[in-house]
Amino acid sequence: MILSYTRNKQLTIRDLNGSVLSRASINDTFFEAEVELEVKVPELEVLSARGEIRRAFFPECRQAILLLDKVVSMRIGPGITRIIRDLIGGVNGCDRLADLAFECFDAVILRFTAEQMRSWKKPETPEEEFNLQVEYLKQNPRLLDSCIAFIEGSPFRPK
Amino acid sequence: MLTFSRTRLISVEPLDESTFLCHGLLDDYIYNMELDVEIKLPDFKITAISGKMKRITTSECQKAESKLKNAIGLSALSPDFEAKVKRIVGRQGCRHFADLLMECCDSVMQLVTYGDWQQVSTKDSAAKDAFWKKLLEGTPRLRNSCSAYVDNGPLIKRLGIKS
Repeated sequence: MILSYTRNKQLTIRDLNGSVLSRASINDTFFEAEVELEVKVPELEVLSARGEIRRAFFPECRQAILLLDKVVSMRIGPGITRIIRDLIGGVNGCDRLADLAFECFDAVILRFTAEQMRSWKKPETPEEEFNLQVEYLKQNPRLLDSCIAFIEGSPFRPK
Repeated sequence: MLTFSRTRLISVEPLDESTFLCHGLLDDYIYNMELDVEIKLPDFKITAISGKMKRITTSECQKAESKLKNAIGLSALSPDFEAKVKRIVGRQGCRHFADLLMECCDSVMQLVTYGDWQQVSTKDSAAKDAFWKKLLEGTPRLRNSCSAYVDNGPLIKRLGIKS
């Protein structure tokens, strides 16, 4: 049947001199917006934030853009999801905009994850993969219990 | 130059008056995966789900496909829906599958909530106000969910909706 709703969400990271530019945009049947954060590396501190709501139900929705100033100087780290939700979303803000800001943060982490994985040599044997993943987990302890590859019972889970 | 990009594409197809099929696709520098999830009204219950991982990072990742069925029976309206999906589809399976599933469910909720907007979006302000009054009075979960829907805000006052 003919579609009734579509959503296209896009994240990109562009490397700058000493920082990265993280951009998240959404274009769906009812809403179109973008958020752009410049994040200093390796500190992962937000240097600047801007955004635009291009299409929304009410012109007043655009006021939520001003809330993005609150993320400037913040550092990407544990608890960021809740902080963003409280600062930009909820009754005084816009959950859609908060979601885009969170996506910007997530993209920064994924950019460095991808860089790390790019240097991996493709494992030829289960033992090589075990060694690779155990070392990766050691370098990224936050991944412990985060997914099926690193939960108890996984071959990559240290005994 | 770009050093990371991610695209999430969601589409929702109505199967009948109360059933929706949502297709979700995630494609980024690291992962590629897709989902088909069937959602039924009135409680936005997940009644069927399947998924495929095409580009992954470990030989264990593919096992997350079988964890998707843990979501069958969950209602997207339930207050602990997000926490449950993160646990039984995410941590027991794959976080990116869990995020994609929540994006699919949110898309269906957006469609069902605002679907009638299409008929009034180009009409006069009286028709639009009638749409918003009916929607906000009939959908308590929207009230105080954002700055536009806040009680004693300009919209609620203008529409004459009682707190």
